[in-house]
Amino acid sequence: MSMAHRTLFKPTFLLTLTHNKTFISHNPFRHSIILPSTTITLNTHLRWCSSNYTTTIDDGSTAKAKGYLGLTDEELMRQCELGTFKTSGPGGQHRNKRESAVRLKHLPTGIIAQASEDRSQHKNRASALNRLRSLIALKVRKPVDLDSYSPPLELLQILPPKSSIRGSDCGPQIGPNNPKFALGMQALLDLIFAAEGSVSEVAKYLGLSTGALSRLILSDDSLRMEVNNLRASKGMKPLK
Amino acid sequence: MKLSLSSVYRPYRFPTLINSSALGRPFCSPALSSPSTILKPQVPLFLRPPINSTKLCDLKKWHDWAKGVATSIGSAFVHSDNGPDSSLLCREIKWLMEDAVEDHSVFSHVGLEGDECVKMRVDIEELYCLWKQRVQERRPFQYIVGCEHWRDLVLSVQEGVLIPRPETELIVDFVCDVVSKNEDLKRGVWADLGTGSGALAIGIGRVLESEGRVIATDLSHVAVSVAAYNVKRYCLQDKIELREGSWFEPLRDMEGKLAGLVSNPPYIPSKDISGLQAEVGRHEPRVALDGGIDGMDALLHLCDGAALMLKPGGFFAFETNGEQQCRALVDYMENNRSGSFCNFEILADFAGIQRFVIGFHQ
Repeated sequence: MSMAHRTLFKPTFLLTLTHNKTFISHNPFRHSIILPSTTITLNTHLRWCSSNYTTTIDDGSTAKAKGYLGLTDEELMRQCELGTFKTSGPGGQHRNKRESAVRLKHLPTGIIAQASEDRSQHKNRASALNRLRSLIALKVRKPVDLDSYSPPLELLQILPPKSSIRGSDCGPQIGPNNPKFALGMQALLDLIFAAEGSVSEVAKYLGLSTGALSRLILSDDSLRMEVNNLRASKGMKPLK
Repeated sequence: MKLSLSSVYRPYRFPTLINSSALGRPFCSPALSSPSTILKPQVPLFLRPPINSTKLCDLKKWHDWAKGVATSIGSAFVHSDNGPDSSLLCREIKWLMEDAVEDHSVFSHVGLEGDECVKMRVDIEELYCLWKQRVQERRPFQYIVGCEHWRDLVLSVQEGVLIPRPETELIVDFVCDVVSKNEDLKRGVWADLGTGSGALAIGIGRVLESEGRVIATDLSHVAVSVAAYNVKRYCLQDKIELREGSWFEPLRDMEGKLAGLVSNPPYIPSKDISGLQAEVGRHEPRVALDGGIDGMDALLHLCDGAALMLKPGGFFAFETNGEQQCRALVDYMENNRSGSFCNFEILADFAGIQRFVIGFHQ
């Protein structure tokens, strides 16, 4: 059995990333995208297959205003190509196999998220969509002008209460398990990239000590990995 | 074109032994609609009380044995009838444990070792029996655990009731789309014919407005009982009404009134039944699978009935065997029911197979 096949059936948490060496700019919407029929061959019995049903791309006007993470699930789903297992045979009533794995490809960015741990395809779709949101937060960068920088609300909300710029109107701190964390994480990464990985410089913008910001970055594995990848590319030591 | 009532209301599958004018009398509510004997449906494994206690090491012994059995299958079932391979069976072991063990978080912090006891919803001996049935008899996993995860629902199923398929989930999405654009349909009465476990009726019941209702019919007494159990579990008794009978037979009072009509009827051609995957062919009800010589018997009957039952602007969605049946169905509606329907669409399932025909009554 091929490695790819085994990986897809692994019943545990699964994340797949496309390798984007260059960071994706924030407005890559095109008005019409011609879809290649994305088919990744796994083995002779099994392949990913895209469906025509959810592949319409809207004109992106709402996305431009709000960013991908501001989209509702439905809007985000409309930007995705949905792949499920296609197997040989006629399917439907002929078949009793729970191949409910789901693979989402976000067409504007090429980011891929998948889920296969649940029995229901429907739930796997929801998990894949959540994963897609974190991956977008991690991989899609917005340029930041450091001279006139003021942190957006979603970033303030994930900061610890001791931040000197965090007003009391921000509400309680949003942690990594909250779906809203992705938005704040995205803004934080935008700032860290603009500051070329310098945690001490970013800490100043956020009214935090370097230690407190490090702890925030280390509180989420994927966030830590992303920051450390950037630091490694700049020849800096990783945060631990 | 006005249809003769008798042809639509007659159970299409059975020869007409009774005078059709008597059967076809409009608006006579058949006695069939209220089940005469109440069948008590089986409780799915995950809802049974955790009254059994098993040592973790004994559970591990079972787990290792079950895994060994699954592994020994290799791809033998795949080759014989496109059945499950061992990796799929191993995933089922994990799901079976999830349903059988009360607190499965125990696996993550303790693992499967030691003398510690774990509460179970089934006796460990029965767990051995169940897995034997799964592999030796090819009893469907869903009948073993008594449920199927479908959309965001967990539906009770048992022998005698078709296990709802992931493909069929899409019909609920089609209905969602249609009612989001049309308030009138959102408040109307919908019908799910041949409801089986009640999957479509429940899925649709949850997307309609508070005034909206669903009537779900099935010929099978077991199916109606299981569907009623599922409807109750999702507290939709006020919204979903179950009627026992063949297709349109229990719907005589709804002529020209339905806002929508959906069905996943039997559509497999009779000659293909014997070659089905053992889980399907040997265990699922033939009446829910066998669609006659070309698999179209029920689908054509549904088209005839839809023309009579749907109100102007009403929506229909049918699942089919694939592209060939989709095309044949659209041809039939255009030629034999010309003027009755409009805006046909053939839609693909997630695997890219042309699976559904949807459209509207004029």
